[in-house]
Amino acid sequence: MKGRVVKLREAHKAGSPALCSASWGPSGQHVVTASAADTAVLIHDAATVLAGGRGSGSSPVATIRLHKDGVTALAVAPGPSGSLASGSMDHSIKFYTFPEGEFQSNVARFTLPIRSLAFNRKGTLLAAAGDDDGIKLIATIDNTISKVLKGHKGSVTGLAFDPRNDYLASVDSFGTVIYWDLCIGAEARTLTRVAPTFRSDNSVRNVLCWSPDGQTLAVPGLRNNVVLYDRDTGEEVCTLYGDHEQPVSSFCWSPNGRYLVSAGLDRQVLIWDVKSRQDIERQKFDDRICSLAWKPNGNALLLIDVMGRVGIWESVIPSTMKSPNEGIPDLNSTKAPLFDDDDEDEEKPSTSGGLEDDIDETLSDSTPFSHKRPRRKSTFDRDSDNEDLIHQMESTKRMKDKHNKKVDAGKARGDSATSARLVTARMQAAFQPGSTPPQPGMRNFLAYNMLGSITTIENEGHSHVEVDFHDTGRGPRVPSMTDYFGFTMAAMNGSGSVFANQCKGDKNMSTLMYRPFGSWAGNSEWSMRFEGEEVKAVALGAGWVAAVTSLNFLRIFTEGGLQMHILSVSGPVVTAAGYEDQLAIVSHASDCLPSGDQVLDVKVFNISEGAQSMSGRLVLTPLSQLSWFGFSENGQLSSYDSKGILRVFSSQFGGSWLPLFSSAKARKSEDESHWVVGLDANNIFCILCKTPQSYPQVMPKPVLSILHLSFPLVSSDLGANSLENEFLMRKLQLSQIQNKMEEMAALGLDTTTYDDEAFNMEAGLDQCILRLISICCSGDKLVRASELAKLLTLEKSMKGALTLVTRLKLPTLQEKFSSIIEERMLNNKIIAGTGGFCSNATIMTNTPVLTTQATLPSKFMQDGNSSLESSLPKPNLVNQQCSSTEPKKSAGEQGIEIKDSARKVSSAFIPSTKVPKSSETKKHRNEASNAAVVDQNQEGGIDHTGAKKMSTEYCNRAEPQRPVNPFAKSSSSKEPSSSLLDSIKKMKVDKPNGRI
Amino acid sequence: MAGQSDPHLSIFSPSEVEFVAEDEIVEIVPNIRMDALNMICGDFGPFFPQIPTKVPLWLAVALKKRSKCTIRTPDWMTVDRLTQVLEAERESPREFQPLPFHYIEISKLLFDDARDDISDAYLVRSLIEDIRDVRFHKVETGLETISGRTHAVKLKNLSAMEVNIVRPFMVRTLQAFYKHDSPQMIQQADNTGSRATPVTDRGPRRDLRRR
Repeated sequence: MKGRVVKLREAHKAGSPALCSASWGPSGQHVVTASAADTAVLIHDAATVLAGGRGSGSSPVATIRLHKDGVTALAVAPGPSGSLASGSMDHSIKFYTFPEGEFQSNVARFTLPIRSLAFNRKGTLLAAAGDDDGIKLIATIDNTISKVLKGHKGSVTGLAFDPRNDYLASVDSFGTVIYWDLCIGAEARTLTRVAPTFRSDNSVRNVLCWSPDGQTLAVPGLRNNVVLYDRDTGEEVCTLYGDHEQPVSSFCWSPNGRYLVSAGLDRQVLIWDVKSRQDIERQKFDDRICSLAWKPNGNALLLIDVMGRVGIWESVIPSTMKSPNEGIPDLNSTKAPLFDDDDEDEEKPSTSGGLEDDIDETLSDSTPFSHKRPRRKSTFDRDSDNEDLIHQMESTKRMKDKHNKKVDAGKARGDSATSARLVTARMQAAFQPGSTPPQPGMRNFLAYNMLGSITTIENEGHSHVEVDFHDTGRGPRVPSMTDYFGFTMAAMNGSGSVFANQCKGDKNMSTLMYRPFGSWAGNSEWSMRFEGEEVKAVALGAGWVAAVTSLNFLRIFTEGGLQMHILSVSGPVVTAAGYEDQLAIVSHASDCLPSGDQVLDVKVFNISEGAQSMSGRLVLTPLSQLSWFGFSENGQLSSYDSKGILRVFSSQFGGSWLPLFSSAKARKSEDESHWVVGLDANNIFCILCKTPQSYPQVMPKPVLSILHLSFPLVSSDLGANSLENEFLMRKLQLSQIQNKMEEMAALGLDTTTYDDEAFNMEAGLDQCILRLISICCSGDKLVRASELAKLLTLEKSMKGALTLVTRLKLPTLQEKFSSIIEERMLNNKIIAGTGGFCSNATIMTNTPVLTTQATLPSKFMQDGNSSLESSLPKPNLVNQQCSSTEPKKSAGEQGIEIKDSARKVSSAFIPSTKVPKSSETKKHRNEASNAAVVDQNQEGGIDHTGAKKMSTEYCNRAEPQRPVNPFAKSSSSKEPSSSLLDSIKKMKVDKPNGRI
Repeated sequence: MAGQSDPHLSIFSPSEVEFVAEDEIVEIVPNIRMDALNMICGDFGPFFPQIPTKVPLWLAVALKKRSKCTIRTPDWMTVDRLTQVLEAERESPREFQPLPFHYIEISKLLFDDARDDISDAYLVRSLIEDIRDVRFHKVETGLETISGRTHAVKLKNLSAMEVNIVRPFMVRTLQAFYKHDSPQMIQQADNTGSRATPVTDRGPRRDLRRR
């Protein structure tokens, strides 16, 4: 048996491999072939194909050349006088008589190529599908599209009607199989990606095939096998796994369902005995076989390969085995276990009125159909429409009733309310930041923050809750949860999520639940029940969970569920937010003002210390409500109101809210709104919503937009709003950093990590100020320029400013700036003195330093162009107020005075003075002395500037004990001023890099 | 042209054109946090989850295949825009609408690998195929106007794939015309002794498409 070879004969000319299809006629006397590379459909006599095409009889019975492009699908309607349907890449489906091949009608036109066709067992319905969206069910009687089944994501490559006419199975190029219930015309079951994925590779296609008794559906499997799925449950029954080395591309059941033949991409064709799940015969071909068909009434197999060569394999099943035709399941007899077809046809229309049965009914007595029959189906359509209409009317009526009830209730409430007060505004209800209102049948967000989201969907009495991290690479994978409580609020951070529900009647009391994302101990989630009180807001942070209830209790639990603290808060809670140790709670301070403004209080607790770090009024835009509340990425408390103003809490002015973003200013069109997710130091992260929606939908996944924070500046006459904004932003950030450093220093911690950051910040601020100065100068705003100059922090920038005004030929400003510099230098001396004093240097060494430098101002007066002496210690704005000495006083007097004041303030300065590192000091001394030597030689060359640069760098760290060469200043005054201008320019150029 | 599979025909295979198209920039929404990638062709990223970034198509597809991102549909690939383009293509039989140079390849790649990221994928795909058909029909009818008097052809807004299909035919046609013309030209050149004559003799420059 093994040695026998099936001869293939060319039927379609194909230059390259193309998908071909072949099919038997209903009586088994003819075969039909088509190729995707050929526009012709050929009908052959089976005998000539079997003969191998030798001799004159090789020409086909009929050649149909009506398609404009390759033919991709064929189907022959069952029944004695069959009909042939062909689908093509030219997007059309045509009907022909069979076996004559006479054109009958154009059935349907698609917008994209057709890939698959199938007739049901009676030939009354044709299913057609391809790259289009949806499978079209076409009633063959009048060529009307009775239904479009939508649900596949890719192009549908395989269709099969269940022999009992209940289901249609379809498979797409992604390998997803869908069972469609023909009675209701909807998805009955979906098996996602069970078959190989071919994407848009159209030379291979997934197929599927019902067993003749309709009990199982065969689908190509992912492991080069064929998988059989159960008809009713969609469960895997068994797999035919064997010698295929590549995925199975085509297969076919024998008429009795006992055997199955499969062809793989490995060019093998295997015959399987389904009962024993073993292959009983195989054959290898030169090319891939892309279509197979079992002769309906014989032991023969029709094959066609990708090159368009067709052949018939006779006596496939050895005579020793059971014939493939023996015991063909007769679905009309009692052999079908559940019910028989005729009964079904009579029963169904009365119960469900499916489209399928209706068509069957109309032609119950006339199976051989013609395509010119009148449209009797339309009556049915109208009926169903009417039914639908009635349904709709009923449901709208119900809705209206409900609505009326609601309105009544609302009225009652409203009446009682108006009697109490005339104000329409209400105190805003409690909410969770980052949540969206529930929508029936849709997912909504319980929480959405910079880390991830928690979504829920209500489904038949219980909900499904999913936790997703934006960063799928790092965030832990959290299994979805079935939620029987109906959680309405949630919060999450990196380590866990907390959920709570409102109480709904007595039996459904409010519950708080915590789910850690990972824990060293198993089963470490916990829940708490609240009797007689209701959770209104939840928050969590590092190691704690907080819930605020309707009794105005703030309950704080540990991560493990221990009840740690129970506090009373001052009013009905609005919302809560957590960040590491900090918990912020917003509550109503009183009823709304007559104007309609909300009166809200905010409190910030430090959980680990058990302290209250802030308490005050939450600021809102008039007539607005709080719509988002939380901490920024760097821990700044922030709020966003319904008028679109974002405020950040700052400790400036004893704690105040700074408006940093306005939605109305940032939006590009009127109908845009911003839904805040979070913010960091410079940017706000939000989701853009278009007007009908004021909040984002879960699907499609929302995308974050980044917008810059900016102060709501008024348009200034300077015309440099962006610079002014940058100036304010940088100032704010600098103050935040300095705050942090002070806190750290107060705790006695090392602040060196922040030093660099603070220095960069100062440099950035100075660059910004310098540019503002130059704009002020060109705009002739000299007072403003001098005010700006006072705000400069770094020595280098001071010099830069001076050079700038010199270049711009503004002598008044030049004078002003010089006096500022003098003042600054005097202050520095005090600090230097203090530093020296603190670091155990003798006062004796300090005195000469002070005296020599105190003589400087007069020199500056003479020589405005001169730059500052390089080796000056860093001036410090914070410490600026310590000195009020006049620059014109005599050196001696100053020395004494300064010493006195230094002693006075020294104690105050100790914490803020930076302790110089000893190695740096040494190194610096060397540098300084080198510079001094060079200076003495009066060589203001490259070496000199190099040394000078180094020293300016070092002078940014307060360096108290540097020996200063009195000659140094004279030489440095000769320093070409152009280099300074260069440095300013450089700063300008460097500017963009400085920004993050 | 070093990568051409068949330099004689001066034609790229579709996959070669597709390869070239993979350098087009698209916008993706990553779902992972990743540092910037420093490639020879430039630096891309850093990537933050849910925040859109611009990357070349090949990188986008690679990330998509690993399900590390979703690709945002380019704004020309929306149903509205494509409908407009299709209408305009149909209305003006003598000019092409501006579309990205690689629109066929980009849409193909996106349909292959990022189908779930495209809204109304079926409609978009059928629109693109329609546009392609309309444009190609225009090219075909345009080519019929080439004659011996044509010495240059100007086609504006033609896309890569369209150029690639037309190129061998166009080049060979013009070459053939040139070859058949040349003895005459040489003769004329001998007669007049001026080099400018053949050019003037070949008639005014004729555009295949206006504009």
